[in-house]
Amino acid sequence: MTAKTTAAGVPYDVQGEMSDSERRDAAMRGFVREFGAVAAAHLESCVRCGMCAEACHFYISTGEPAYTPINKLQPFEQAYHRHAGPFAPIYRLLGIVPSVTIETLEEWERLIFDACTLCGRCTLACPMGIDIADLIKKARHGMFKAGLVPDRLQLMDRTARAWGSPATPADDFADIIRDTGEQFGVTMNIDLEKADYLLTVAPAELTDHTKALADAAKVFNKAGLSWTYHTEGFEASNIGYLNGDIDLQETMTRKIIDTAVRIGAHTLVLPECGHAYGAARWEAGRWYGDKLPVRIIHMTEFLQEVVASRKIKLNRVGQSASFHDPCQLVRRGGVMQAPRDVLKALGFEIKELENHGALSWCCGGGGGVVSNSRADPIRYKAFELKQREVDAAGADRFVTACGQCRITLTLGAKHFKWDRKVENLLELVADNLAD
Amino acid sequence: MQRSQTLGEILDSRGVSRRAFLKYASYVSALMALPAGSAAAMAEGLAAARRQSVIWLSFQECTGCTESLTRSFSPTLESLIFDFISLDYHHTLQAASGEAAEKARETAMAENKGKYIVVVDGAVSTKDGGLYSTIAGVANVDMLRASVKDALAVIAVGTCAAFGGIPKARPNPTGAAPVDEIVTDKPVINIPGCPPIPEAMAGVISYLVSFGKLPELDDLRRPKAFFGETIHDRCYRRPFYERGLFADGFDDAGARQGYCLYKVGCKGPVTYNSCATLKWNGGVSFPIQSGHGCLGCSEPDFWDQGGFYRPLSTSLRDLGPALAGAAVAGAALGAGAAWASRRHQAAYVKEQAASEGGKK
Amino acid sequence: MTLLDFARGPALQAALIIFVLGAVWRIVGALTAPWRLVPANPREGALSPAVAALKGVFVKMWPHKPFQQAGLFTFVNGYVFHFGLAIVVLLFTPHILFIKGLTGLNWPGLPSNLIYMVAVITGASLIAGLVHRLRSPVLQLISRNDDYLSWLLTFLPVVTGLLATSHLGARYETLLALHILSICAFLIWFPFGKLMHAFLFVFSRGMTGVRMGQRGAEL
Ligand code: SF4
Ligand code: SF4
Ligand code: SF4
Repeated sequence: MTAKTTAAGVPYDVQGEMSDSERRDAAMRGFVREFGAVAAAHLESCVRCGMCAEACHFYISTGEPAYTPINKLQPFEQAYHRHAGPFAPIYRLLGIVPSVTIETLEEWERLIFDACTLCGRCTLACPMGIDIADLIKKARHGMFKAGLVPDRLQLMDRTARAWGSPATPADDFADIIRDTGEQFGVTMNIDLEKADYLLTVAPAELTDHTKALADAAKVFNKAGLSWTYHTEGFEASNIGYLNGDIDLQETMTRKIIDTAVRIGAHTLVLPECGHAYGAARWEAGRWYGDKLPVRIIHMTEFLQEVVASRKIKLNRVGQSASFHDPCQLVRRGGVMQAPRDVLKALGFEIKELENHGALSWCCGGGGGVVSNSRADPIRYKAFELKQREVDAAGADRFVTACGQCRITLTLGAKHFKWDRKVENLLELVADNLAD
Repeated sequence: MQRSQTLGEILDSRGVSRRAFLKYASYVSALMALPAGSAAAMAEGLAAARRQSVIWLSFQECTGCTESLTRSFSPTLESLIFDFISLDYHHTLQAASGEAAEKARETAMAENKGKYIVVVDGAVSTKDGGLYSTIAGVANVDMLRASVKDALAVIAVGTCAAFGGIPKARPNPTGAAPVDEIVTDKPVINIPGCPPIPEAMAGVISYLVSFGKLPELDDLRRPKAFFGETIHDRCYRRPFYERGLFADGFDDAGARQGYCLYKVGCKGPVTYNSCATLKWNGGVSFPIQSGHGCLGCSEPDFWDQGGFYRPLSTSLRDLGPALAGAAVAGAALGAGAAWASRRHQAAYVKEQAASEGGKK
Repeated sequence: MTLLDFARGPALQAALIIFVLGAVWRIVGALTAPWRLVPANPREGALSPAVAALKGVFVKMWPHKPFQQAGLFTFVNGYVFHFGLAIVVLLFTPHILFIKGLTGLNWPGLPSNLIYMVAVITGASLIAGLVHRLRSPVLQLISRNDDYLSWLLTFLPVVTGLLATSHLGARYETLLALHILSICAFLIWFPFGKLMHAFLFVFSRGMTGVRMGQRGAEL
């Protein structure tokens, strides 16, 4: 792994031993795999109207034209026209569309990884209905093959491959669960042979935020459900989904789903993590088809279910709260009402942010950006958009339902010495369980 | 009639009043939009003019032009003017025939060297040496060349002479050509129309005789005075065109309302002529007024515009089958391209598998 | 052969053939590629794919609230010239006759004076769009030659059409010929550049509609 800069001073990292041309070819092959009718319909339709720029927090907060979403796809688009479009044979023959150069790829690493959180706000803005966020994710597959990924993400990839989780070796998982149970005085279920619910976790919960593990257990216990954590399938955050490592994405997805099936669970509950939802709920179909062997829900949906079915009762907090909508859960995931229902059950008066629901601003850290320190300056820029809206809404509490969002927002608050605490919905529920 | 007499003297002796003559001159000047004062000058010029020697050649034609000029109105000043030009040679009208006639032509040419006018109606056959149309054994094209040698100017009367007209319509078996393709070293005035408007013909000759020079012409050598505006510019149905009110057929409600005839093929918008203002038969009517669109008869190749009833804005060709073919070919090419891309993509991915396998 | 005959005859024929061939080629070529749509177990109560696709096509006709202000010019101006072009192309009687000649379809037109007005507005709107493109740093960055060529070839028929109907600059038949030739150029370029969005937007919007629809997410 080496950090370099292009002639123009743009930083990029490279991994693996490859010549420039091998690297470029590897990227092209990675891109080429993604080209089909769906990518075609999108890549053929752009009218260069620039509307997508107006949606992207990185463009809005910096005014930097390079952050225009469709611009982030430039090499991917070029590869499409050269290798897969309806006129590709002619373009190649006449050299109308040249091959993408290694320099372009190096330069675009920053735009594809640092400057995109895969938040999908641009997709909502594009009048042609181009799913730019999805295309950028596809472009990452090629970049990964070429070893053109930010080192920080690559590091997590390696760890996840070796340990089964970017946070901790799988061997330690059971211990962490037991210790946490003891620490918080909660009965934990680990590695049960049979359970109705398989509960999964996100990396931060295994290090700094172990309370979330206990909170989840607390709610499940209270609801009187049959559930378990399981060493063979516990890590739901899917680094492969973020950094373009499609093989790792498959491994991570299969681990949790197959484990759920093995222990006879009818439901796989994902932790408060947006990308976990995107990867397991909406992309498991890559390997399982459109009939998933197990029901997959997000923690927020689970909370809504147990509240609605009165399996748990909640104390009313009686304050006002603003909710930060995690992109992968709400905009890209379609879970918009559930968190609000739970907040209402907690007796909160909801003071919506100016941009909320599907149109909410991204926290600025999704898509691996929060783990990629190179992107810190623009991440803080993007954070300011959120900060302004939260201040304007003036609610007592500021709540979200994604650990990554919470970390990003907390880092932002620290950076700007902003005295707002960011809370997770699960924690609020667990802390306010009524008898 | 003596050749030395001036036109004025002849008119006097015929009992045509000075006033009537001036009136005619004003009429012609007005028609030709000549500047104020031209009427008097023209009257003077005409009165003083000697009888103009004219050689009238008729080639591949139908005699409609001559009919239009001689029969369309009862004796008027125009017809008198024609009486007083010295029509030294005219197939249809002259009394003499055979060798005598050809002799008369040669005599006129010799006597009026450099001053006579050649009027041509009909297109000139050029194919195979012009043998498809001959007079007294002489091909039209040769006769034309010989006749114009010492002419002052040539007037091509009617669309056949001006642009080739119907003889030149596809497939043009006789190689018919317009006069100005053959005559390149003498001034040629085109007065097209099928047939041309008599006033245009008379006006041009009057102008030529009284001022001794050519009137202003457009790029198709047509006198701007008569061919400066389109039929559409002056059409009385134009307000309907602007309001989007069109006849869809010749007997529908729109037709009865007198709506614009664009949809039934009127070529008025691209036809330069004076029909809409001068009209025909002494100003009685013109085609659009009697319910039929303009055929565009004073324009080149009006016969080959894909049909008189085909609206102006449509393609000249029947494209259905060609477009269906294009769609099928497009689909095949598209599917082919997709197939080629699939193979290209597969080859790429395979290469990768191979190189990865190699590394392991 | 006069210029007008050339325009109405071989030029139009060639242009239409290229247009149909190229457009079908591109659409078929794009859509017969392997789909590679990630299958997903739809959310309970999610829209059926057909409904979601349709919804995608329609919802995208107007921007979501947060984008309305920044995108106001783009959207409003876009609508002005798209509607303008549609009105001029589809409701001017000579154009209807042209389409009727090709397809046999027929419908009533609007008064010509109204069409001239709309065409003037359309032309002005296109110019405004170009100025916007030249002045916006974002658009400068993402614009390609295609964008300028497509603009020009859309603008020319509007201008030549206006000149022809108002007899400005040259004789009517010359202007009419130029108008038809400018349309030929437009038709020839159409399948190869961004003008194709006129057909492809349906598929692009529809596919996003399906993807988001099955998730129960907003479009
Ligand atoms: S997905 Fe989000 S971060 Fe990425 S380009 Fe689009 S708006 Fe910007
Ligand atoms: S909003 Fe859509 S059509 Fe417009 S430039 Fe961006 S990707 Fe292209
Ligand atoms: S009838 Fe012919 S000339 Fe008259 S307005 Fe209609 S199109 Fe023009």
